[in-house]
Amino acid sequence: MTLSRLEVPSVARRAAAEIAPGSVVAVSGEWSIAVADFVPEEKAVWLLQAGGMLSDLPINAADAGAALRGGHVDLSILQAAQVDSNGSFAGYHATDYPGPQGHAGLVDLAGAHRVVALLPQTGADGSSNLVDALTLPPDGVRCVDTIITDVAVFRVADTGLTLTEVAPGWSAEDVRAITGTNLTVAPNLREMDFTIPPGKPASKVYADGPSAIADLPDGATVFIDGFGGPGGMAHYLLVSLRDRGSRNLTIVSNTAGIARVVSFGTPPGHTAIDHSVLVENGQVAKAIASFPVSPSVSRPSEFELAYRRGEVDLELVPQGTLAERLRAGGAGIEAFYTPTGAGTLIAEGKESRVIDGREYILEQGLRADFALIRAHWADTRGNLVYRGTSRNFNAVMAAGARVTVVEVDEIVQPGELDPEAVVTPGIFVQRIVQRPDGFTGYE
Amino acid sequence: MAFSKLYDSARAAVADIPDGATVLLGGVSGANAPAALVSALADRNVRDLTCVCDSTYYGAEVLHGLVAAGCVSTIISPAPFGSGKDDMVHELWHSGSLAVEVVPWGTLAERMRSAGAGIGGVFLPVGIGTRFAEGKETRVVNGVECVFEPPLRGDFALIRASRADGVGNLVYAGAQRGWNSAVVSAARVAIAEVDEVVEPGSIDPELVITPGIFVNRIVRTNSAPVG
Repeated sequence: MTLSRLEVPSVARRAAAEIAPGSVVAVSGEWSIAVADFVPEEKAVWLLQAGGMLSDLPINAADAGAALRGGHVDLSILQAAQVDSNGSFAGYHATDYPGPQGHAGLVDLAGAHRVVALLPQTGADGSSNLVDALTLPPDGVRCVDTIITDVAVFRVADTGLTLTEVAPGWSAEDVRAITGTNLTVAPNLREMDFTIPPGKPASKVYADGPSAIADLPDGATVFIDGFGGPGGMAHYLLVSLRDRGSRNLTIVSNTAGIARVVSFGTPPGHTAIDHSVLVENGQVAKAIASFPVSPSVSRPSEFELAYRRGEVDLELVPQGTLAERLRAGGAGIEAFYTPTGAGTLIAEGKESRVIDGREYILEQGLRADFALIRAHWADTRGNLVYRGTSRNFNAVMAAGARVTVVEVDEIVQPGELDPEAVVTPGIFVQRIVQRPDGFTGYE
Repeated sequence: MAFSKLYDSARAAVADIPDGATVLLGGVSGANAPAALVSALADRNVRDLTCVCDSTYYGAEVLHGLVAAGCVSTIISPAPFGSGKDDMVHELWHSGSLAVEVVPWGTLAERMRSAGAGIGGVFLPVGIGTRFAEGKETRVVNGVECVFEPPLRGDFALIRASRADGVGNLVYAGAQRGWNSAVVSAARVAIAEVDEVVEPGSIDPELVITPGIFVNRIVRTNSAPVG
């Protein structure tokens, strides 16, 4: 009797069971795109496609690649041609595409935290698509952790492949007989289960500022949005951080707090809330900033005074370079060459290189433990819409932190924001706080 | 309305694209593609173009028109070949009349972003251990193995958007944003084909994805409008 193999929808359904609620999933290939049909809406999963869509949000192709490189994609589900015992995969058969390089559609997907490969157990000639070592050109090296075929499920371990599930009617020996690499059979081997576990992602909405930053530790690096004035600054989160009292912070920001000294329309008898609230509270050890001093010599900022007292360190970064380093950090760009600052003090100690007759210096991406950013609207999935100039550094900071906390004027339900107006997709936002009624940027 | 960036026809907008130019295409099919611009370019019978695009298949009729007209000598793309043996790109490549360079799509988009942003090149952790890292400078940065990827500049970018105002601020519709907004800043001259041209000031600034400083020429499309 011939054992029956699973049809594509069954493989896709089994793959869908791998997707945790709220996760970000990149898909490519017919088998993997079919997975989307089996993801319940309540799981609020994000599907990233190279063509430029992130679920229902349009996304620039460079930003889509950046999301994969930058560690923002939890799972890639891709259709492979061959997978080996180390978890390396080839996306295509030599006959699929000609030429020495063929096709590069799957290379970026290897950058996700997890890679699940879907493929037929055997090729048209009956040979195994699971092998000791790839015979086809690799598209990703040692990245696959789970393999789902039309007869079984395998996990990739240091010792090779472990058979964990078999299709209905199949035994471990049936699978082993058509597998081209050694198999360890899991002690709890079971029949493949096609039910999709239910579940919703945890809410990103926090009750208030203090609870949203309650775990911001001493010694953290924190991105703080804002330009010069009060626009775009997460005042409520800044005050929350002051009240929490985390110390020895490295703050990365355009200024190190000048809204207070410049005033920018501050009502009489009030002071603007800016980074100064942290500096005067002794919480800041270092600033990485492009405009760390007051524009007025007679009205020095708190940071300036602390710097003169030798209490804080400073790394000065040109403004465009700061923005680019922030983007690089979130985009999985470890380093880049920029012409800005070549031949100046900024270039000291940095590698320089002449490219096409122009001198460039090497700058590195910036990452943070927390980002405190500000937007006008968020939906509960964390999609953000900014308003006017308050967009400033928010958009480049959001992706570069382990935990991005956004302070917004209003939280709405998914679907209420115009997708074309969303600048920061929710995959970059972990926590959302509504600014309390009546809270202003002044104290 | 008379705007200096608004051209009367696609033909006029592409009139100075010379033989041998590198042309970045924001889309190759359907509502994502600058169909009128590419068609006008094919009619001009230019030669030896290098075309950069995201793929050549899935009904890439717009690009195929240009290739079929014999205008293209090189394609740079993550997916230059169709999967069938009768694929035109496959046949031309096999006969030696078309060169291809295959680049992972995230890397391709980032190389064009670098060109548009004045970056001299980036170190990316992409393609290590694959044929796409062969022959490239590699370096371990912060403990991460990376390849060096240089910027990719175009002479012209041909893109498709939904709306433009007279100064070239662009609004896209849905998936148009993906590659059109990724290539627009990387060329010396960017030409946008749009469904609608409106007065400056009438587009909500929060919806503008590509500011007009990156757009040199605007043409109204004669293909089907989007949605």
